Amino acid sequence: MGIKIEKNEAKFLIRLADTEIILGQRLTEMCSKGPFLEEDIAISNLALDLFGRGEELLKIVSNIEGNTYSSDDYAFKRNEREYFNLNLSEQPNNDFAWVIAKQFLHDVYVQLVFTQLLKSKIDEVSGLAEKVLKEIEYSLNHSRDWMLRLGIGTEESNSRLQVAINHLWKYVQEIFLFDELDNEFLVDTDSITKDWKTEIANVFKASNISEPETKHYDIRDYRNGFHSEHLGLILATMQYLPRAYPDAKW
Amino acid sequence: MEKGDKVWEVFIQKKAGLSFKHVGNVHAYDKKMAIQNARDLYTRRSEGREIWVVETEHIVSVPLDQADAYFNPSDDKPYRHASFYELPDGITSL
Repeated sequence: MGIKIEKNEAKFLIRLADTEIILGQRLTEMCSKGPFLEEDIAISNLALDLFGRGEELLKIVSNIEGNTYSSDDYAFKRNEREYFNLNLSEQPNNDFAWVIAKQFLHDVYVQLVFTQLLKSKIDEVSGLAEKVLKEIEYSLNHSRDWMLRLGIGTEESNSRLQVAINHLWKYVQEIFLFDELDNEFLVDTDSITKDWKTEIANVFKASNISEPETKHYDIRDYRNGFHSEHLGLILATMQYLPRAYPDAKW
Repeated sequence: MEKGDKVWEVFIQKKAGLSFKHVGNVHAYDKKMAIQNARDLYTRRSEGREIWVVETEHIVSVPLDQADAYFNPSDDKPYRHASFYELPDGITSL
């Protein structure tokens, strides 16, 4: 569609917005498929939180970019290569362990990011950070709790969680390849890497999960709009309706 | 459901100082999961600021088949209500 993003602030924020929206879209796939009713509703709530966060960020992006495009335009009218979400967020929900592992790795990351954004020079961003940190704290409680339950639950649940972590691990490296933009808008990216690794190591240990070896993969960076094979399908589902019926209202 | 699963009754307090009100129940395996599930099912629309969960089996209730024995006898004893007293003047909020 050729929606270009000009300003640095917007380029930085849209990464975060896209990560939240794509992970939210993945989570909605679990709606009516949760392991039991209560968890189904819990997951759907978390998905709504992610969409809310993504939308607020896109509104700020839209503002910074002079309101040429609305937040809906950004969500529904950009193609794969114009999306800047973490590759981690688009990985499939092969089973409940995958859902939890992805959510946990993500939650720890965004908690650290939004904590630093409390000090953002953009008022709307620091305000948003304050608001969303509460829901992120809850989400992290939920995902960390399930990491422990699955990790020390049964042999089966432990091995499924280990499989999920082993697969997702290769999409973790890119998170920490911070570039100039990240360093411009985050206070201290080194501490994000360090604190993320510490928290993950602690929870892995408590969950009887072994930390996979970090190998170097030649994965092209999400910061340049590169993705795994999954994003196209996610966008096809997510964008179908507003693209087929551009004036649809609900 | 499966082994280990229990039903818990959920009580919500709307505001500090108000009494807790029974709102329904949830399935959960332990206390922590019960309170999280209760939060997700019953407080998504700002219904409360505190939650209690109690395992249903810990609540003692009158057996259904004895309901008549427990409650019928009070149906025809209106004198047990304080409605026969004349209220002194000036009392407005009794």
